[in-house]
Amino acid sequence: MDRWFLLIATLLAAIGGTWGMISVHRGTRSHWTVVWMVAVLLCQLGFLSIRGQLRAACPLQDLGEMLVFLAWSLTLFYLLIGPAYRISLLGVFSAPLVFVLQAAALISGMLTTSPKRDLSPNMFHSLHSATSVLAYGALALAGVAGIMFLVLDRQLKVHHLKSGLFRNLPPAHELLVSLERLLWLGTGLLTLGIIAGFLMPRTTTSVHSHLIVAMAVWVGYTGLLAVKTVRGLTGRKLALSAVAMFILSLVVFARV
Amino acid sequence: MELLCLGLNHRTAPVEVRERFAVGSTQLGAAAMELATLADATEGVVISTCNRTEFYLAAPDAREALILLEARLTLRESLDAGASIHFYRKVKSEAAVHLCRVVSGLDSMMLGETEIFGQVKQAYQAALAAGTTGCVLNRLFQRAFGVGKKVRTETSIQEGSTSVGNVAVDLAEKIFGHLKDSEVMILGAGEMSRITAQSLVSRGARSIFVSNRSFDRAEELARNMGGTAVRFDDWQRALERVDVVISSTGAPHALIHRADVEKVRRARKFRPLFFIDIAVPRDIHPDVGEIEEVYLYDIDTLENLASEARTRRQLQIELCEGIIIAELAKLNLPGT
Repeated sequence: MDRWFLLIATLLAAIGGTWGMISVHRGTRSHWTVVWMVAVLLCQLGFLSIRGQLRAACPLQDLGEMLVFLAWSLTLFYLLIGPAYRISLLGVFSAPLVFVLQAAALISGMLTTSPKRDLSPNMFHSLHSATSVLAYGALALAGVAGIMFLVLDRQLKVHHLKSGLFRNLPPAHELLVSLERLLWLGTGLLTLGIIAGFLMPRTTTSVHSHLIVAMAVWVGYTGLLAVKTVRGLTGRKLALSAVAMFILSLVVFARV
Repeated sequence: MELLCLGLNHRTAPVEVRERFAVGSTQLGAAAMELATLADATEGVVISTCNRTEFYLAAPDAREALILLEARLTLRESLDAGASIHFYRKVKSEAAVHLCRVVSGLDSMMLGETEIFGQVKQAYQAALAAGTTGCVLNRLFQRAFGVGKKVRTETSIQEGSTSVGNVAVDLAEKIFGHLKDSEVMILGAGEMSRITAQSLVSRGARSIFVSNRSFDRAEELARNMGGTAVRFDDWQRALERVDVVISSTGAPHALIHRADVEKVRRARKFRPLFFIDIAVPRDIHPDVGEIEEVYLYDIDTLENLASEARTRRQLQIELCEGIIIAELAKLNLPGT
């Protein structure tokens, strides 16, 4: 049943993304993107609640669950930020990433077929996993906003202003404000995750190396925000950094 | 009852004729009552804008009412017999199609402009309040508003900016979003830069700085626009805080170089900077546009964008007229 929820969520993300892109190509605004993404979120919640019941703990025990949790977090932040800041196009850009993450989780071996019940769940372990993945959702969305800014910046620079995409993209300033807020939110959540990580019982060396990589990611994002706040940064450099750092930070997943 | 329309606009009559028939927005109701009396008609609506005055009537015989109305108007305004060339006359379905074209902006000087929709609505409301509309004109106007909305939503007739000033303002909004936090600097006190800056202010720009070689002229313009005059030697310092620079000096060579902007980047914390260069020869060296956070647009680029929008709108006319014909065919309006 859990896989069915995931499969439906993946299909909905693919349809929502494609629908949105077709609308953008035609030069119209897709008012359905939010609806598709709400449906994706509900299916993700269905998947996560079933896995949570099976595990009797936060469903973040294998790579597949983490990828779905990350996709859920990304969808959640889009729904919180996109409509509020009238950046519905963020959904069109987020949907492909949600699709890729969930499709990767569906690959054989990523999700444990019969998840074991966690007999001794640790509060700090669950807190570390949940806040870290939520942080990644916010940082992923910051990367998406970064890509949108880079596209708009390029079009404004070369005076290519006729495309439907240009007409539908939100103003550059709004994209940068959203991007920066998402970076602050993601870094804040990551801080909580790392603190919880140090408080949870650590038995293996892989847990140590995982925390070290997470710390490196935290230092990177904190440094970026510090430079932006103190010295200032061009929109292009901030956006490029947000995209590059999110891709690099995925290394942490390889160290799970 | 038959529908008729007698009118004159910017294409058929010079301003000295149009102004004689112009009616103030507060007088539209009274004018509609007078119109109905003049033409011995049962219903009447007067539309009057800076580019047109049109009389819509419902009368037992449209052609007879047209002749009567034209003769009485000519007499009232003491026009000679040749003045009739300035009028256009539409009867029955022609009049309905014409009103839909007007409401849709297809008959406007600036194709697809939106202001006319509100102006026609105001004229109709005034006539309605004055009691000069009945079943023919009520249905006609209400349906025309519906058709106008359909034309505007289903086609690109009002898309894009068709003037240099509006293109610049739209671009500023694409960069900064709402302009309430944006500050604007005008270099050179030319008319074009004044109009563009005024458009930015009307859309919410927070403040305006005016710098000109003649400080007196800068002060005068700043006073007119509610801004602040800046001495010409100090414009570089003002560059640290502004978001939009509109330049139109008469300098024979570039005034703003890459080095000028590089100097203030750090102080600006690398915030976006939008340069609008409407001077010929150009005031801003093209190298300035290579700076990461700078968006530079010169007069040719802005004019090309405006011209492309005008062409796009022109290409929509046939589609709009198709919608009007199809919608009117469905409605079977009385008097047509």
